[in-house]
Amino acid sequence: MMIRVKGPGIKLIWAASFLVSFLLLLLPFVFRLDGKTHADWQQFLGRFHPLVVHLPIGLILLVPVLELAGRVRPALLEAAMFVLSLSLLSCLLALTLGYLLAYGSGDAGAGVSRHMWGGIALTIGVLACVLVRLTTGGVRGFYPYLLACVLLLLAWTAHQGGSLTHGDKYLTEYLPNPLKRLGGMGTVQAKAFDFPDSFYARHIYPIFDANCLVCHGEQKVKGGLRMDTYDRLMRGGKEGAVIIPGKPERSILLERITLPTDHKKFMPSEGKPPLKSEEITWIRAWILQGASQEVKSLAGIDVPEPFREEPLPQVADYSKMMGEISQTAKAAGVTLVPVSRNLGDGLVLNTVDAGQKFGDAQLAGLVRFAPYIVEAELGRTSVTDSCFATLGKFSHLRALHLEGTSVTGAGLTTLTQLPQLSYLNLSGTQVTQAAIAPLTSMKNLRHLYLYNTPAQPASITRQAP
Amino acid sequence: MKQHPLCTDPDNGPTIMDLPIAEGMKAEWAELETRRHFLGRAGKVLGWAALASLSGERMFTGEAHAATAVPSPESLRLPHFAPKAKRAIYLFMSGGPPQMDLLDYKPNLAQLYDKDIPDSVRGAQQLTGMTAGQARFPIAPSHWAFKQYGKSGTWMSDLLPYTARMVDDLTIIKSTNTEAINHEPAIMLLNTGNMNAGKPCLGAWLSYGLGSMNDNLPTFMVLLSKLNPKENNQPVSSRLWSSGFLSSEYAGVGLRSAGDPVLYLSDPKGVNRDVRRKMLDAVNEINRQTYQELGDPETNSRISQYEMAYRMQTSVPELTDMSREPQSTWDLYGPDAKEPGTYAYNCLMARRMAERGVRFTQVYKRGWDVHANVTGLLPVLCQETDRPTYALITDLKQRGLLDDTLVIWGGEFGRTVYSQGGLTPDNYGRDHHPRCFTTWMAGGGVRPGITHGETDEYSYNVVKDPVPVRDFNATVLHCLGIDHNKLTYKFQGLDQKLTGTTPASVVTSLLA
Repeated sequence: MMIRVKGPGIKLIWAASFLVSFLLLLLPFVFRLDGKTHADWQQFLGRFHPLVVHLPIGLILLVPVLELAGRVRPALLEAAMFVLSLSLLSCLLALTLGYLLAYGSGDAGAGVSRHMWGGIALTIGVLACVLVRLTTGGVRGFYPYLLACVLLLLAWTAHQGGSLTHGDKYLTEYLPNPLKRLGGMGTVQAKAFDFPDSFYARHIYPIFDANCLVCHGEQKVKGGLRMDTYDRLMRGGKEGAVIIPGKPERSILLERITLPTDHKKFMPSEGKPPLKSEEITWIRAWILQGASQEVKSLAGIDVPEPFREEPLPQVADYSKMMGEISQTAKAAGVTLVPVSRNLGDGLVLNTVDAGQKFGDAQLAGLVRFAPYIVEAELGRTSVTDSCFATLGKFSHLRALHLEGTSVTGAGLTTLTQLPQLSYLNLSGTQVTQAAIAPLTSMKNLRHLYLYNTPAQPASITRQAP
Repeated sequence: MKQHPLCTDPDNGPTIMDLPIAEGMKAEWAELETRRHFLGRAGKVLGWAALASLSGERMFTGEAHAATAVPSPESLRLPHFAPKAKRAIYLFMSGGPPQMDLLDYKPNLAQLYDKDIPDSVRGAQQLTGMTAGQARFPIAPSHWAFKQYGKSGTWMSDLLPYTARMVDDLTIIKSTNTEAINHEPAIMLLNTGNMNAGKPCLGAWLSYGLGSMNDNLPTFMVLLSKLNPKENNQPVSSRLWSSGFLSSEYAGVGLRSAGDPVLYLSDPKGVNRDVRRKMLDAVNEINRQTYQELGDPETNSRISQYEMAYRMQTSVPELTDMSREPQSTWDLYGPDAKEPGTYAYNCLMARRMAERGVRFTQVYKRGWDVHANVTGLLPVLCQETDRPTYALITDLKQRGLLDDTLVIWGGEFGRTVYSQGGLTPDNYGRDHHPRCFTTWMAGGGVRPGITHGETDEYSYNVVKDPVPVRDFNATVLHCLGIDHNKLTYKFQGLDQKLTGTTPASVVTSLLA
């Protein structure tokens, strides 16, 4: 038996529904989310929102299941209507609690308002579903489409809410890289700073980013304070400026992060881990020394550079040539070994076992694999100056050992064609200052060794520019 | 005829199964039997496979290559990532150098002369039997002055004038600490990651993981420095360069400090190289048959070791022939370097090995165990080691080798700030101290000119950035392109690794 309401009753219901919807839409304009905290009871009740909010999610998701299953077992269609009504009630409850949470604890920000409008729209959507189903008396007309829209809206609103509590990168952080690229998330835009080299950009902002921005960022703005840009940070929140340059003891920000951790006003709040003592020291020193967004270093603060592995330039894929490579190498009495498990890191040409048996001809025989060889150890082989012509084709060469060979430097200029060459060892050869003069134009060549050559004593390790 | 139940007629007699023992035991025995039978057969099958691959290799190269049933270095596909260092030289200061007399400057100690170290500092630290009975623990300030050197302004004892010149090349770790307080467990822990003998050492892991760079020399070589009988020398044994459960071809090969560098390496009179080759071929054939029968991978290790020895017959004389070293070498390393077996000679040898592609060289210098007479012994030890160590770093640097060679300097633990035995204004002794000691690294992969970690004003406890042995070793492996958590070997049901079961981490602030 289908429930179908007809006659004047339905008109009344429609009218009431329009009124409720109108009130819901009006709510944010009457009680504006102004970033100020309000009554404690509101916060107390509001904190049940994250619990209650799962009720409408579960119930709404159950509705399409019941509607579909109802095709086989008609009794379930009746249950669908019942569950849909429950959804509406739970939506209203969750919405009320959510609003109390945001209003009571002074939440504001783009993310909060998106979630709020999502919640309101969802509630109205569920209400519309109930009405349409009551009017049409079953799964007819545009009810299925309306329900589909409600489900999409549900997913979006729930995601907004999740991003508020966990941060907006939570869901995609461990997404496998290929999928990230597929979804266009591969290149996460680095934050643009006016002064990217400043102490603020390199050391202070990352602390805020890791600890504060979840509640004081674009998505959520507690206490009217946003810390996601320098200007907004300095503008402060509803209690005024939080940073007073030169006066750390009067800066609210520093006061809050150095309170006892069980203090009501301690930041970061809600049991999040406190800042490290080192980070507090940096913030204090930064404020004391003017809280500038430009200065690059602070007196008395020595920040160890965070360890960052320089990505190596990659060579093209040679995995199909592996057999050929090892055969050719074996024939020449040398080895061509991968730099690492990552084949893109390239190959090392190792000639130590061949020694003097390895010469210009053998080197020329390897030229097919030249673009994959990043390091050529030709020390103590019998290569001569004619090797440079061949080496010019080793386009990805990073390190070249020629120590103890008979090269004199004629033709050395060819090496200037190798943009990545950073290490060149000519120790124990006959190269002269004049022969190596052209190398000065190579800006990547940081390590040049001329020990025991006519070009000594310029045996230098050039510092990186 | 009725047989006695315990009579052992192998064909018809009763088996274990007939004995009046618990059923569980019988089941276990049955299982063991099956497994033994299976392994016996499997060994033969593997043996055939190995022989097939051996003969295959021989057709192409005319050389024997050992094939083993255990994971080969090739199958590990190491390094895990592009390494900064290709090889390493470990200068091991056996005995435990006193950190507060050399590198860990503690200016406040002078005022505390002969005062007792506070109990709050000493805490519950275990003592050795040598000082446990002492009534007092009087603080012994260092006898030597310290000065600042280099751009980094690092404090360094007057005992190390040469090391002082290269402070800007060093990565000093003042917060290394260990759990062992006696030599054997401590030196074992440093080398193998475990206080008990039987685990492979760092060098063996490196040989296993990274393989050889020069087929004619061992991948891992150990140089023992001559003893100075005046010093308090602690024994070092081949357990420290053992390959543990890894194939024995990854164990360190030691060069002797006197006489022939490798015993019986040169052919006896009347045996020429052809005869030697024929003999080896015959022996290898017999070994191969044995392998075929028993399938023990150690047989293959034996074959490869014979072959290595054969190649070393030409490569080692070339390696140890220093007649072509120019005068500048001797000026740099000092006069001691001319005498085989000295620490200076070994430092020079380490450089020659690095040039020739030896992956890992460990130089042992004993005598740092200064329980008494510190002011008498320490100057001798420093005189023996300071200049050669400096010479090695400088030499590697000028030849362009330091960029991809990691040099490590350190002992197995530190020494106490309080005096062992009597304290006089002129002399004192120092006991073992595990809670902190100073080590340094230089070269490929580490950041030069920094000091990592801090100790308290007594050089007793680490107060900042502790580096336990496992983290120290994890960092060394990292410099060589190895993820310490991934270089493992299954043994006794555990994925064994150098850093042990306690989670270890790479000390990233040491890295370049």
